[in-house]
Amino acid sequence: MWAMASGSAGLGAAESAVSAREKERQLIQILKSDAAPADKAIPCKQLAIYGTREAVPALAPLLADPELASWARIALEAIPDPAAGAALRDALGRVRGRLLIGVINSIGVRRDAGAVDPLIEKLRDPDAGIAAAAAEALGRIGGPTAAGAIESSLAAEAPQVRAAAAQGCILAAERFLAENKRDEAQRLYDAVRRSNVPLQRTLEATRGAILVRQSAGIPLLIEQLRSSDRARYAMALRTARELPGTEATEAIASELDRCPAARQASLFMALSDRPDAAVLPAVLRIAQSGPKELRVIALRRLDHWSDVACVPVLLEAAAGNDDALAQAARTALTRIEGPEIERDLLARLSSAGGRTRQVLIELAGPRQMTAALPIIRPSVSDSDAEIRRAAVETIGALGDRGHVADLVRLLDQTAGAAEQESIQKALLSICGRAGAGSVPSLMPLMRSREGALRQVALQGMAAAGGAEALAAVVSGLEDADEAVQDEAVGVLGTWPNNWPEDQGVLEPLLALAKTGKKMSHRVQGARGYLQLLQENKGIAADARLARVDALLPSIPRAEEKRLAIAVVGAIPTAAALDRLAILSEDPAVKEEACLAIVNLVGGKQRPNIAPERMQKALRTVLERTANDTTRQKAQALLQAR
Amino acid sequence: MKRPTTIDGGFPARGEAARDRDAARIGRRQFLKRAAQAGALLMAPQVVRGAVVGRDGGVPPSEQILLGAIGIGNRGAYVLSCFLHEPDLRFVAICDVKAVRRQAVKKMADTRYGNSDCATYRDLHDLLARSDIDAVLIATGPNWHATASILAAQAGKDVYCEKPCTKNIAQSVALAEAFRRTGRVFQAGTQRRSLPNFAFAIDLARRGRLGRLQTMHAHPGGLKPGTSGWAPAEAEPSREEVDWDMYLGPAAWRPYNRRWLDGFNFEKGGGMVGGGCLEWGSHCVDLCQWANDADDTAPVEYEPKGDQLHARYANGVRLIMRNDGWLPLGSCPVRFEGDREWVETADNGDIMASSPALLTGKGAKISGYPADFHVRDFLDCVKSRGQPRANADVACQSHIACHAANIALFLGRKLYFDPRKNEFVGDAEANRLRSEALREPWRI
Repeated sequence: MWAMASGSAGLGAAESAVSAREKERQLIQILKSDAAPADKAIPCKQLAIYGTREAVPALAPLLADPELASWARIALEAIPDPAAGAALRDALGRVRGRLLIGVINSIGVRRDAGAVDPLIEKLRDPDAGIAAAAAEALGRIGGPTAAGAIESSLAAEAPQVRAAAAQGCILAAERFLAENKRDEAQRLYDAVRRSNVPLQRTLEATRGAILVRQSAGIPLLIEQLRSSDRARYAMALRTARELPGTEATEAIASELDRCPAARQASLFMALSDRPDAAVLPAVLRIAQSGPKELRVIALRRLDHWSDVACVPVLLEAAAGNDDALAQAARTALTRIEGPEIERDLLARLSSAGGRTRQVLIELAGPRQMTAALPIIRPSVSDSDAEIRRAAVETIGALGDRGHVADLVRLLDQTAGAAEQESIQKALLSICGRAGAGSVPSLMPLMRSREGALRQVALQGMAAAGGAEALAAVVSGLEDADEAVQDEAVGVLGTWPNNWPEDQGVLEPLLALAKTGKKMSHRVQGARGYLQLLQENKGIAADARLARVDALLPSIPRAEEKRLAIAVVGAIPTAAALDRLAILSEDPAVKEEACLAIVNLVGGKQRPNIAPERMQKALRTVLERTANDTTRQKAQALLQAR
Repeated sequence: MKRPTTIDGGFPARGEAARDRDAARIGRRQFLKRAAQAGALLMAPQVVRGAVVGRDGGVPPSEQILLGAIGIGNRGAYVLSCFLHEPDLRFVAICDVKAVRRQAVKKMADTRYGNSDCATYRDLHDLLARSDIDAVLIATGPNWHATASILAAQAGKDVYCEKPCTKNIAQSVALAEAFRRTGRVFQAGTQRRSLPNFAFAIDLARRGRLGRLQTMHAHPGGLKPGTSGWAPAEAEPSREEVDWDMYLGPAAWRPYNRRWLDGFNFEKGGGMVGGGCLEWGSHCVDLCQWANDADDTAPVEYEPKGDQLHARYANGVRLIMRNDGWLPLGSCPVRFEGDREWVETADNGDIMASSPALLTGKGAKISGYPADFHVRDFLDCVKSRGQPRANADVACQSHIACHAANIALFLGRKLYFDPRKNEFVGDAEANRLRSEALREPWRI
């Protein structure tokens, strides 16, 4: 099936047409043959794609076959030729029970206007399931004749038929609406509302009756909003969001003042969901002076309107003392969009003071208001600590390398630990963003008298990256302060390796590993060096191995030798295999080396190594390993080769 | 490429850095926009919980939502557990065609409530006939999702339905129409719509923080279409044990065979086209729809290219469905590229972006794609009658995009699609794949 359908891929239009005809011919032959039902099912489905009127005679008899009827209808529903519709209509008189329901359903899907009369007959079928199917199919087809018939069935004796007739009426009403026949639609909705049908159908008809009447439907909507029945009220809440027009907005807003307190929140949410500019005054009123529960909702929703009138209301709440209101207002202030909003916020930032200024500064970061930076810049020296903090954080979020020197100076002048930490965070954020261009501005910090600030400078260098920063970090290894040396070692050992300058860190790391002042420095140097070799795929295999060789004699601990084995084990060359064999002589790491040989030979990488070299290495493993699993793997690989 | 950054705004640790480098109609439309905007206000319940919680912390029965469930297997049990944690929710009934599952869910519910009240049903009509049940969780498998959802709406129930929600384009349209007509609340089980990392990344795209949005990338988790056919007959269990006729439901008839009993994959995408693209696309393509402010439309072009599917929206934004080349952020990744910046996120909750400034205001990391927030959003809307984040109109369009992509993959050619008419342009074969007859007596 799949191969056949995919076979049309890439064919030109003419070829594709020929191919489709040939496919249809083959499929029809299968259906006409003595093949088992299992073999006829999928061909039916394929005929949904390739079938024409030629296929209909082969499909039609299957409508009476309990096993294949559903498959046949897949094709007959899809084949656009009228012959398919005729076959389904013909089956109305031939098939019974569930199969007949299926046929009726397919006629409904095809919206076959030619089937209206026979379907009307089926409305009187003693089998309620068949009559119900006919009612819904007639609703889908629509039109005055079908609608009149199903409207009559609203009074049927069987509840199932009445329910389906209501469904059919609602479907038919939608068809009328699509043709802009509002009177006919309204008549059907009202007929359903008057009938003894399930509550859900009544609710749907009521919704339709409100919407079809447009503004004349407002009284019916208000009646439902005042209903004590939960289901009717729930339907009205949904419809209140749908009925368009300012008049409806005003009516619902008025209702808000009258409704019980328990319903205010849900009604207010429905009101504020309405896509109508006239809603805003009501929402602003609630946001300023409504009950607190509603104020929170209103404030949170004010960002829906890009209206500058919202800004003062939101700012007042955001700078206020009530946490819930402030949080709701800040959320909306972060999100409210529009160039006028932006201009208004900038203008207010220039003149505001106190808590409002703090809020405006804090908003600039998440709103990405880079135009606010010149206004915010002086606030890093404000007398209000909260404003200073907000200014530093925002500059950290939005600033560029031009702000690095400011923050360096500020850091040098600031005494409090918390403020220092805040400035450091901002500094590192900008350095990470601005890259090597921020290094010159960091250099004064490297020369600070305080070791702690020189450590911050090293962190900034790491965030900035580049050759100049690397050189500064290397110089930190010789700092007079031992803590600064440790910081430099830590920074060097985890030097970011996503830049072209990366490989420049290899030599300093190798030197650190060999001649570091302390064992911990040498260990960090070796680890950083090996980790870089492992992860930097830009280093060729031979060069990688040579780099490992340069370090190996200086590795004092087994832990780092294991890291070296991991690096070598990922190099798919004969030389790497030889190196691992040598390492397997070291009792401290022989098992790791043997396992690395096995993994290298048997791994998915398929190394391009001569078989005899690999066999030799595997035999070495068998000689040296004491691990049963490694031995078994080596034996298996030897046998396989 | 700009240097990537983490949510902390600092430089990535060495391993991350290396991987990163390598990776290197007016009313209704506005209505949908409101729902999309609401999506950005995550973790902010629309109904104030205090209004319904009594002094003892309990919820009075009049304020409780009564839930039933239809078809609960592994995934359904997880989602149901999210419902069971909600204080204003009471689970009262399970319907499943398999006796083992009915009993397992009943045990789960009865243990939770310390009684034996959970009712069991084999036929969904019996559960839907209960007038006391407000809402249903549907996790049957894709064969039943749309049909059961529409039947539930017609019975006056609100619906939380697992994805993929539909088998074809016609079902997608029918689903949206049914929920609009009935006024019921529908939430597709695309819970990433309610997760903060996805919402944050999408907000950057929607608000122009990336510049003009150019290209979106979605990870459909395999683009090969699947097929469900006719397997040899096996001895059919008793109806009480497995109701095979009800299991088949709207799918074309075939004899009983255990192979098809995996509801998760059976007839996915209509059994002819479907599979991976629907399974994951219903999440990640859905997120791209949101990012492109396209919840009321779908792409207009679909072209298979190698092992990828390239789509294009009418506004020029490209959607690339691809399986490889993602940053190491977990499953279901999406990436949005503007003409200035880019952002990528996935299921581990991290967000990577071209600039840390973009990530200012990012909230706490939530990983593991929990459904709790999505469930809460649904329950809030059951009360407020508002539109949940993954409502039927939203789900309709994102599923249409997935189905159209699948049909292009199936036919192996570029297709043009008219989202206003829901028709392929100039391709009769593709148009025939938009719908499929339901087995008797089912209809939607």
